[in-house]
Amino acid sequence: MSIETRWKLIRFLITALSMFGLWLIFTARFELFSLVTGLGGSFFVAALTYEIFIPRHQAGINFFVPRPFHLILYLFLMIFFIYKSSLAVLVSVVTGRVNPRIVHFRTSLKSDMARMVLANSITMTPGTITLDLNDDHLTVHWFFSTTSHSKVAGNEVKGEIEKHLKKVWL
Amino acid sequence: MSIREILAAIAFLAAVVFGVAGLAGLFRFPDPYSRLQAGSLLGTTSVLSIFIGTLLLSPNGAVAARVVVIMLFFLISSPTGSHIVARFTWNIGTHPWRPKSEEKKKQRKAGTGKDEAAPEENP
Repeated sequence: MSIETRWKLIRFLITALSMFGLWLIFTARFELFSLVTGLGGSFFVAALTYEIFIPRHQAGINFFVPRPFHLILYLFLMIFFIYKSSLAVLVSVVTGRVNPRIVHFRTSLKSDMARMVLANSITMTPGTITLDLNDDHLTVHWFFSTTSHSKVAGNEVKGEIEKHLKKVWL
Repeated sequence: MSIREILAAIAFLAAVVFGVAGLAGLFRFPDPYSRLQAGSLLGTTSVLSIFIGTLLLSPNGAVAARVVVIMLFFLISSPTGSHIVARFTWNIGTHPWRPKSEEKKKQRKAGTGKDEAAPEENP
């Protein structure tokens, strides 16, 4: 078996298994008919879409399969951060004391998945919205900006999140 | 009322407060970016609070697992939507609004000859 076919097979199996896991959670039934239908359906859809779900150029398993323990930790952290930042925005809506500005910075994360999650997390957490994500270069609208220096702004906006994301994906 | 119901009621109350504040913020600020900040973040928090309340009231594990999956998909889809709106506003070339007090502060700083240590990077 060539390395190309093996990589294709691995991507196909990961897609099918994640779909089957979702099927199990949504139906919550363990009869034979339900299981067989779900397995057949997820394999069929995976055969059509595994090329999009996991692109060919991904270099390794750890680039898109998260480490489960750190992922759960990250989710709880994220919910805490969301509440913290929405309280800050709530106060700013009432008082009107804001300082919006557009800043640029780079991220040191390697995989596409981690960068996407970072951009989405930044859109929610410390009163910022990601305007553009170009490879590793982020353009961000920052609601409570204290500086326009690229490195300092990057540390303040993404510092904590990026540190935790590095443990979840590569 | 059991303790679970009280906690759920608190979560629903938080949802109402965040939702009303998000609606107010949508009309309070002058430019699209700031409106999007208030609207999208507080809207997300409001719906998330409702989901947490539902999670507390769910009768068994199967329903709770479904609510968790819906929560995960919502956490992916909601910021993606607001990012797309912000991205197209940025691509059109809209400049962000600066409050007047901040502009004055900056002018005062420039007048004394001591600018910020960082170079101005914004386009």
